[in-house]
Amino acid sequence: MFAPGIRSTKSLTSSINISIAKRGLFKTIPQPPGNIIGTVNDAYVPPPSNKLHGSAHWTFERFVTIGMAPLIISPFITGTAPLDSAMAGLLLYHCYAGFQSCIIDYIPKRVYGSLHTAAMLLLTFGTFVAGYGVYKIENEEKDGVFGLLKKLWVN
Amino acid sequence: MKLLTFTRSLATQAAKLPNIKTFKIYRWNPDTPEIKPTMKSYQLDLNQTGPMVLDALLKIKNEQDPTLTLRRSCREGICGSCAMNIGGRNTLACLCKIDTDSKKDLKIYPLPHMYIVRDLVPDLTHFYKQYKSIKPYLQIDESKLPERENIQSVEDRAKLDGLYECILCACCSTSCPSYWWNQQEYLGPAVLMQAYRWMIDSRDTATNLRKEMLQNSMSLYRCHTIMNCSKTCPKGLNPGGAIAEIKKSMAFD
Repeated sequence: MFAPGIRSTKSLTSSINISIAKRGLFKTIPQPPGNIIGTVNDAYVPPPSNKLHGSAHWTFERFVTIGMAPLIISPFITGTAPLDSAMAGLLLYHCYAGFQSCIIDYIPKRVYGSLHTAAMLLLTFGTFVAGYGVYKIENEEKDGVFGLLKKLWVN
Repeated sequence: MKLLTFTRSLATQAAKLPNIKTFKIYRWNPDTPEIKPTMKSYQLDLNQTGPMVLDALLKIKNEQDPTLTLRRSCREGICGSCAMNIGGRNTLACLCKIDTDSKKDLKIYPLPHMYIVRDLVPDLTHFYKQYKSIKPYLQIDESKLPERENIQSVEDRAKLDGLYECILCACCSTSCPSYWWNQQEYLGPAVLMQAYRWMIDSRDTATNLRKEMLQNSMSLYRCHTIMNCSKTCPKGLNPGGAIAEIKKSMAFD
């Protein structure tokens, strides 16, 4: 008795899902109705465990952030930046990790597939370009990144 | 004296002026999927209504519109059925007082960013599937089983306070932006707090397995300490704090 009804709702939801997937600028992967994979009684299956994406990544991020704090505050007090390249390097990684989190949040692999990978590659490329820029600044400017920032206030 | 009693008997109670408040409630019917969800207004006299939002909803359902659909059971904040978004905040309708200022409308929505079954009823299937995945029960090595009772010290039991009270109403999970965007992979505050509850249970020996399950970028580390969870919890618990404790305990694994 219920079978035709259930079948029709199922086809309706899947067609809605496909139409949502086609909407917008980028083609996305259609998601299962109600986010349910398998039957309603199967437990959620976590992604394969990898410490580099889990606790190691998190701990490293914390260390970078904690290490950055004194490096950023000290030039404001002393007026010079002897560890400028270290600060710039940590700041670069901090930005990289932050944007990485944004990509995982808003361009998830589950929905965007290869676009997710492309965004990550673009971020890595951008980080290397910025890293080269930092290298040039450290070599050519007198006070490095700190000196450049100082100019914003002086001039 | 007799006269006084007589005049008293003629007195009537001064009728209270009706205090009419508008409730705007999210309505959607799966039988007519082509009709988009709408906000339907209902007028209630607050002097004739109980103090809580659940009283108002049931009064509307009983007297004005029997098609209004919502989950409710215990009406005292123990079952977690009537979780919904009331006036912009996820909470239990039975624990939420109606603002008596009748000039302001009260908007009631289902839990945000969930698939809706009908009106105020969200589909919690995936939420329960996630809860199932953390194995919310005691796991013990057969060899470590004590001969008689499985005893826990008072101090170890105290660690579970603030965790075991969770009623899984899903108010916290559905208030979390990370859960909105990635609920298919991120476990969400409610489930992670229960994961922590079993991790620190002194009788449970599967802590490492429980931690191993969270070692990926999605299940746990989508938490960005936004703390909406702790702010919204109708039971006053702190899921955000529990997640931070998990991250700390896993830091050097």
